[in-house]
Amino acid sequence: MTKTKYYIGTAGWKYDDWIGSFYPKKENAAFNWLQYYAQYFNCVEVNSTYYAYMSERVVNSWIRKTGKLDDFKFTIKLHQDFTHKRCYNKENINAFYFILDMLQKAERLGGLLIQFPQSFKFDESSAAYISRLRELFSGYKIFIEIRHGSFHSNEAIDFFKSASLNCITIDQPQIGCAISFKPLVINKSLYIRLHGRNKEAWFKGFDRIGKEQTAEERSARYDYLYLPGELIEITQQIKSAAENVEEVFVITNNHLHGNAIANALQLINILEERKINIPPITLMAYPHLEELHI
Amino acid sequence: MRTIFHLDMDAFFVSVERILNPELKNKPVIIGGNPHGRGVVAACSYEARKFGLHSAMPIRIAFKLCPQGIYLHGHYDEYVRYSKAAKNILMKYAPVIEQASIDEFYMDFTGCEHLYGSYTQLAEKLQHEINSSLRLPCSIGVASNKTLAKIASDYKKPNGITYVPPGEEKNFLADLPVQVIPGVGKVTLKSLNQKGIYYVKDITALPQEYFSLAYGKYGIDLWQKANGEGTEYLTVEREQKSISHETTFLNDVLSIKQIEETLFNLAAKLSQSLKVNNWIASTVSLKLRYSDFNTLTRAKTITHTDDPAVIFNTSKTLFQKSYTRRVAVRLVGIRLTNFLINSEQLFLFDDIIVKRSKALNAINKIRSKYGYSSIHFGIITN
Repeated sequence: MTKTKYYIGTAGWKYDDWIGSFYPKKENAAFNWLQYYAQYFNCVEVNSTYYAYMSERVVNSWIRKTGKLDDFKFTIKLHQDFTHKRCYNKENINAFYFILDMLQKAERLGGLLIQFPQSFKFDESSAAYISRLRELFSGYKIFIEIRHGSFHSNEAIDFFKSASLNCITIDQPQIGCAISFKPLVINKSLYIRLHGRNKEAWFKGFDRIGKEQTAEERSARYDYLYLPGELIEITQQIKSAAENVEEVFVITNNHLHGNAIANALQLINILEERKINIPPITLMAYPHLEELHI
Repeated sequence: MRTIFHLDMDAFFVSVERILNPELKNKPVIIGGNPHGRGVVAACSYEARKFGLHSAMPIRIAFKLCPQGIYLHGHYDEYVRYSKAAKNILMKYAPVIEQASIDEFYMDFTGCEHLYGSYTQLAEKLQHEINSSLRLPCSIGVASNKTLAKIASDYKKPNGITYVPPGEEKNFLADLPVQVIPGVGKVTLKSLNQKGIYYVKDITALPQEYFSLAYGKYGIDLWQKANGEGTEYLTVEREQKSISHETTFLNDVLSIKQIEETLFNLAAKLSQSLKVNNWIASTVSLKLRYSDFNTLTRAKTITHTDDPAVIFNTSKTLFQKSYTRRVAVRLVGIRLTNFLINSEQLFLFDDIIVKRSKALNAINKIRSKYGYSSIHFGIITN
C-alpha cells in the first residue's frame, strides 16, 4: 500500500474578509499574506493565473515567501484563453510556460489545473482539444476539471487513462443534474475541489445566466461552511479512493468569511489524523475547532 | 455458539450537537425543539437525565423538570451522516452487520477472536476508532446473542465495554433489575413487581409455564430472555418497509377542512418521497389522535400508486370513516406500505394515467431542481 501524501489548502490566499478570522487585524509593514498562510498549509491553488499572465517578479515573490518551507506546492489554474475563450497564440503559451517553469525549477509546482466550462461536453472534438492541451503542456502534471455529466462515461475515463490525465473531483450543491461527489482516481492521482453547498446562491446564479454578474453575486455561491459530518462523509470517500494514490490535493473554494480556512484545517485534522496548529484568531471565529488544536 | 457485538452510540444526538457546538459540553442538553411546544424529547444528555428526563417524554414535562436545560431542534441530516460514517468504519471489520437504528449496530464476529487477540481487544479497537475518527463515544456489549449483547452494551455507559463469556449468560443477568430486558416497559414492570419479581433471577427461579400462563407468548419470550437466550442471527440489509408523515397541530383542531388540508399536504410529501425512490405503494394507513390521546389507525389497500391525489383521496375517505367522535384532533398522519418498484409499463394502456404520470414526473423534476416548495398542488373548492 502506498503512503499517501496530502496537500491541503485553499483556492487563493488573499481575501480581505479573512482578516479577523485568519489574518491578524493589525498588520505591520513586514507582514506577508502568503508567508503567513504557508505556516498553516502546504498547498495553495492559484486562480489569479486564470485571469492574468503573471510577471517574473510576482512568481519570484511566491517562491521567495515559501522558500524556507520543506514542502509547499502551488497548483496553477490555466488561463481562460485556453479553456473558456479557446483562442490563444504563441505568446500566451510562452507566458504560461514561464510561470510553470519557474515553479517547477523551484520544486514548488503541484500541477496545472485546467478547468473547462459547464457546457464543455465529452465528444470527439473536445477529446481532441484536450489532447492538444495535453501535448502543449506535456512537461507538467495536469488535472482536468470538467463539470458536464458526459465526462463520467466509460469512454471518457478510458480517454483520460490513455492520455495520462488526472480528473478533478468536485463537491458542489446537488441541484438538478449536478455530478454528485465521487472521488475519481484515474492515474494514481487525486485532486478534490470543494465549492460549498450553497444551493440558494447557485439558484440565483441560474436566474442570472447570460447577464453580467457582480463580484458579490459570484462570491455568494461560495458562502458556505461545511458541517463536520459533511467533511467526515467527504473524507471517508477520499480515504477509500486514496488507498493506492501517492498524492492527494484537497482544495477548499468556499472562501467567504474564511470558511475555506476553517474547513481546510478540519480536513488536515481528519485526513492526516493529527492535531493541528490553529491561529488564535481563527479559534475565536470558529470555536468548534478548539478540539482539533494542538 | 455465536459472538454478537452490539454497539450503541452514547447519547448520540447530543454527542453530535457537542461537536457542532463544544459549549454544550457538561450541560443538560435536550433535543426535541420548542420546550413550550407539544413535541417529545428525541434525546437528552446524561446531565439532563439526572433531572429525570428521558427520550419520548413530552417536552413540556421535561421543561418543568429541567428549565435550565438547553433545548435544541437538532440537526437530523448531520446525525444521519455520522451514523453512516460509523457504519462505514464498522464495515471494515465486521463480516456481518445489522443497523438496528440510527445509533445502534449489531455485528457477528463469530470465529474472529484469534484475529484480534480477544473479543475485548476487538471491542476496544472499534470503540477507539469510532472515538478518534468521529469524536463520538460509544458502548459495546459482546455476548452469545443479540438480546444479551444489547443488555451488555447498556451495562456500563458511557464508553463501556462489557463481555459476557459463553456459559455466563444467566449469572450475568441474575442480579440485574428486570427492566433491563428489552420489551419490559412500565406496564410489565408494574405487573412483575406486583408478583414480587424485581430481578432477573426472580424470573429464572420460576418455571416457564408460569409466565406462559400469566403473559402468553410474550411471557415465554420474557422467560427465555431472562435465561440468557435470544436471537443469534442478524438481519442484514433490512429493506425500508414503510414511509410516513404526520403533523401534530399547534392547537387541537375541530375543523374538518383544516384536517383535510393537512392530509392533502402530507399526501403530496409522501408522493414526492415515493417518486424519489421510484416506488409505488398499495396500502394507505391513516393515523388519528384525538386531544385525549386516544389514537386509532385505519388502512386501505388500493392499486399501487405514487399519485398524491389517490393517496389524499384514500386517506380522506379513511378519515371520514374514522372521525366518529366530536373531540378535537391532536395529530393526523399517513403511512404508506407494500412497495413495488415503479414501472411505467404497468400503466401504458391507460391514456389518462399516462398523461397524469407525465405531469407528476415533471412536477417531481421541478421539485428536485428547485426544492419541494417550488410547486404546490391546489384543491378545487366548490
